[in-house]
Amino acid sequence: MNNTSYNNHMHRVGRVFMAMGLSVMLIVPVLIWVISGVGPDWNKMIIAILSMSILYLPSGIIEVVTYSPFLGTGATYLAFVTGNLVNLKIPCVMNAREIAKTEIGTPENEVVATLSVAFSTITTVIILSVGILFLQLIRPFLEAEVMQPAFNWVVSALFGALGYKYFLRNPKLVIVPIVFSLVLAAIAPKFVYSNIAIVIVITAIVSVVAAKIMYDKKWLSEK
Amino acid sequence: MFLQTTDINLIKNAWWMYLIGAAVTIFIIGGALFFAFTALRQAKKIGMRREQIRQSVISSISFSILPSIGIFIGVITMAGLLGIPLPWIRLSVIGALHYELMAVSVASGGITAATLTTQHFVTIAFAMTISIIWGGVFALFFFKKYQTKVLSKATSGEKGGFGKLLFDAVFIGMISAYLGDAFAKIFRYDVRVVEDGAYLLDDFGDYVVVDSRTFVPIIVFLSSMLAMFVFDLIIKKWHQKWLENFQLALSMIFGMTVAVLLGIGGIF
Repeated sequence: MNNTSYNNHMHRVGRVFMAMGLSVMLIVPVLIWVISGVGPDWNKMIIAILSMSILYLPSGIIEVVTYSPFLGTGATYLAFVTGNLVNLKIPCVMNAREIAKTEIGTPENEVVATLSVAFSTITTVIILSVGILFLQLIRPFLEAEVMQPAFNWVVSALFGALGYKYFLRNPKLVIVPIVFSLVLAAIAPKFVYSNIAIVIVITAIVSVVAAKIMYDKKWLSEK
Repeated sequence: MFLQTTDINLIKNAWWMYLIGAAVTIFIIGGALFFAFTALRQAKKIGMRREQIRQSVISSISFSILPSIGIFIGVITMAGLLGIPLPWIRLSVIGALHYELMAVSVASGGITAATLTTQHFVTIAFAMTISIIWGGVFALFFFKKYQTKVLSKATSGEKGGFGKLLFDAVFIGMISAYLGDAFAKIFRYDVRVVEDGAYLLDDFGDYVVVDSRTFVPIIVFLSSMLAMFVFDLIIKKWHQKWLENFQLALSMIFGMTVAVLLGIGGIF
């Protein structure tokens, strides 16, 4: 299969998988309704869906627009069914890409990203399932007060570790977005930690604009 | 109706709820394996090295373990109110703990495990599911068009060499945002109180929050970064290439251990 036909094939199977995935998700509450014989409170449900969707409809679209270039074709469909994009799938793909030394947009990277999201997904569902099987055994350990800070700050640990290679490799590219995000955090801390999805988009735009200016002015050495 | 009971305490942890959870899990694993095999077939066709494939798989598994344990803690957090199976299902598909907790509060504000009814439970399940599907719906109908009409143009043609920098710049923006997130918590950090697996609301329907400003996340961020530097030295100076696949996971463990040690020292 050449790259174009592989890409078209992944779009085809990806769409089928996405349609199946959305159906599986939607059938869960329907099954609970049918089996229990108790329907939802329609008023509360519609208000909740509308008020949540005001926030999550645009952010869902922005996520596809922002993250699909990192994921490629197959992994985008898989990741948008299995979730945990920002806190797991995207960093996981970027780490695999670093280690396998592939460039975004290449056929090799498409393979690496798909494998990365697939095995990350399998790891997560296995851990959830095993955790539930042995819940009584591991619950005291995970809920121990001494362990709470570890999992409270797992995302900071993740992006700190991941940041090292990117910051080291692109020292000129990082100055503007870092200064921008630190200043924004100092001026409007609540906005930053409450709206991280929006802050990511803003910081990414600042970073791209700064990179473009530096690139056009030839301040960045050609890679 | 198939049940003799509408008692929520019997429904939320019922065997058939676990069965639904198992079915969803099998669907997800089946889908992931299908995509993996398709990618592996393509890897052979384009002549990729076995080492590249092996590294991608091992690094992705080792990387995913710790965040997945974090996701499992989310299941435990919600279990008090919703039982085990529904949070298990919800966190196996698109969603996240903060989103699910928000859905609980919006769909049935003010309820507790003692006042939860089956109707609340069904309402919450519908609200959680429908409100988060928009990214998937957009991908289903528009991703191919977006990729062919917008992305391919943005990364090719006259922009040439900038295409490579573009994605690095976006990702650096993302990492910088999380650095800002950790930094912001030094100045202010209102944490919503979770009780019985849902956000606690006051008499006016507002979230109850506590001020928890902290230095810990920025210290964790920098500690993980430092650990990566040390592992990099070990890999390069002592030629321990195998360590590359575990470097990130081990650096995260180091950062998380620092957080635990700070906690033991009374710094949260």
